[in-house]
Amino acid sequence: MKKLTLKSFGPLLAAGALFASGSTFAGSNNDGFQPSVARGAALYNQNCGRCHNPRPAEDFSAREWSVIMPHMRAKAHMTRQESLDVEAFLGATLTEEKRGTMDAASSAPASSERGATLVSQFGCIGCHAIKGEGGQMGPSLDQTHASKGAEFIFKKIRDPNFNNTASAMPKFPLNDNDIKSIVKYLETAAQ
Amino acid sequence: MSKKLIGQVMTGLGCAAASFVAIADSDSPLAQGRFAMAGYGDVSYISADGGNDAFASRFIPIFLYQVNDKIHIESELEFGIGEDGETETELEYADLHYYLTDSTVITAGKFLLPFGQFGPNLHPSWINRLPSMPGIYGGHGGNGTMTPLLPLLSDVGVSASQTINLGGESRLFIDAYMVNGPKDDFEDGELHGAEFEPSNSDNNDSKALGGRIAYAWLPRLEVGASFYQGAYDPGGNLDFMATGIDFNYIAGFYTVRGEYIKTEMDKQEVPADPVTQEDRNGWYLQGSWQARQLNIDSLNPVELVLRRSEINKIDGGERWTVGANYWLSPSTALKLAFEDTSLDSGEDDNRIFTQLAFGF
Repeated sequence: MKKLTLKSFGPLLAAGALFASGSTFAGSNNDGFQPSVARGAALYNQNCGRCHNPRPAEDFSAREWSVIMPHMRAKAHMTRQESLDVEAFLGATLTEEKRGTMDAASSAPASSERGATLVSQFGCIGCHAIKGEGGQMGPSLDQTHASKGAEFIFKKIRDPNFNNTASAMPKFPLNDNDIKSIVKYLETAAQ
Repeated sequence: MSKKLIGQVMTGLGCAAASFVAIADSDSPLAQGRFAMAGYGDVSYISADGGNDAFASRFIPIFLYQVNDKIHIESELEFGIGEDGETETELEYADLHYYLTDSTVITAGKFLLPFGQFGPNLHPSWINRLPSMPGIYGGHGGNGTMTPLLPLLSDVGVSASQTINLGGESRLFIDAYMVNGPKDDFEDGELHGAEFEPSNSDNNDSKALGGRIAYAWLPRLEVGASFYQGAYDPGGNLDFMATGIDFNYIAGFYTVRGEYIKTEMDKQEVPADPVTQEDRNGWYLQGSWQARQLNIDSLNPVELVLRRSEINKIDGGERWTVGANYWLSPSTALKLAFEDTSLDSGEDDNRIFTQLAFGF
């Protein structure tokens, strides 16, 4: 058997350290990086489901996620910026210490335009595809309104587990008008 | 360690340190916490041929502590109950991550070895789609009769991991580590081979080296190649080596995973004997399918799983496992499985598992 020794790895270790020296170092937070909810949703879709059912954001508080994410960053080989993006996505659905409360996000009247804004704001296409764009963890939303109706979508956003106890979809901090806006948007988006 | 090696490593680390800027990360959009506890556990009822049916239970908490934005500490303890009723405790891992760069992590302590995917990522019972281990990993957790190929999930040492973004959804994951490694199984004046019990000691100065390189096309595909080599005798002359390939394919409603491992072990019962080589290999292939594809609300939490495991040459055998899971939550599954194990030598084994597995 060809014997590998520590010495065999000398050039590799040196090359690795040199490579690392060209990377952006953790903690260099003056790089202008701004975490993105939309990117975080996509990364959540891409990384969490590789090994396990993704955990809904409300499983932990914001403070707990801030400690859990570095653990998952190492496990999933995510970069610091990717990890911060996922934290932004998780944070978008949680207040400081509340888990998935249905806060009144706004009192604006329901409209398709506002629905489009909310779908973008909460990174829905990180997990769902709309017009071919988006993730695959959840079903495509193009035909959801036509096939399941407005009431189903409303109930699903209000309580993501109502029809599937295994659903990883978070409870978003939306009020009834917000949810109606998303329903309207999904009705028009498919047309 | 030679002066040349030390020079090479120090040169690289010096270059790394030169561009290091130690400023605390304040970009996190979350309120900064210090401590979190997660983990998993399970309660099983196992009905096996030739034995008494029994319940079994485990509780495995994971403690996470964030020292600062660059240093993170993690530890996993397994609590179980032995056959004599005594509480059994095992330190699965306890390590410190140092986030050297955006994409480089240095780990020191007792850590899960990045060999394949099942050991480092898939073995927790709420993640493992079946209530038993793949045959090539043996019976960790108290079930199964197959002799594992690399009976080691974690060890004590240091590791480095690097992520390279190749653009789009493509990534390259690189892991390299050095650990205490295997020891000799010496009994009745004869050396019976390598023993894998991770500890804070070693019986020689030769450390075990290993690593994994994987290509991922997120989130669908990950393909990796792993190796592990360590001397196990006091003189550091007899080696154990394992190589493996693994893959993970995820396509919406179904997943397919598999691993192949080959091991080579130098054997010499007494010093006067010639050194011979003992080879083994094996694989497993697992598919799972989620019934939510049928679009029937009552079946949305149901998942079906099929796995085939095979070990060839010494201590050979094959195993079929078929199971059905009902997910009570994304991290809580009620699993029912039947497992049929046929061994080349020894009694065959049939088992029925009922398991409640939970992640928290």
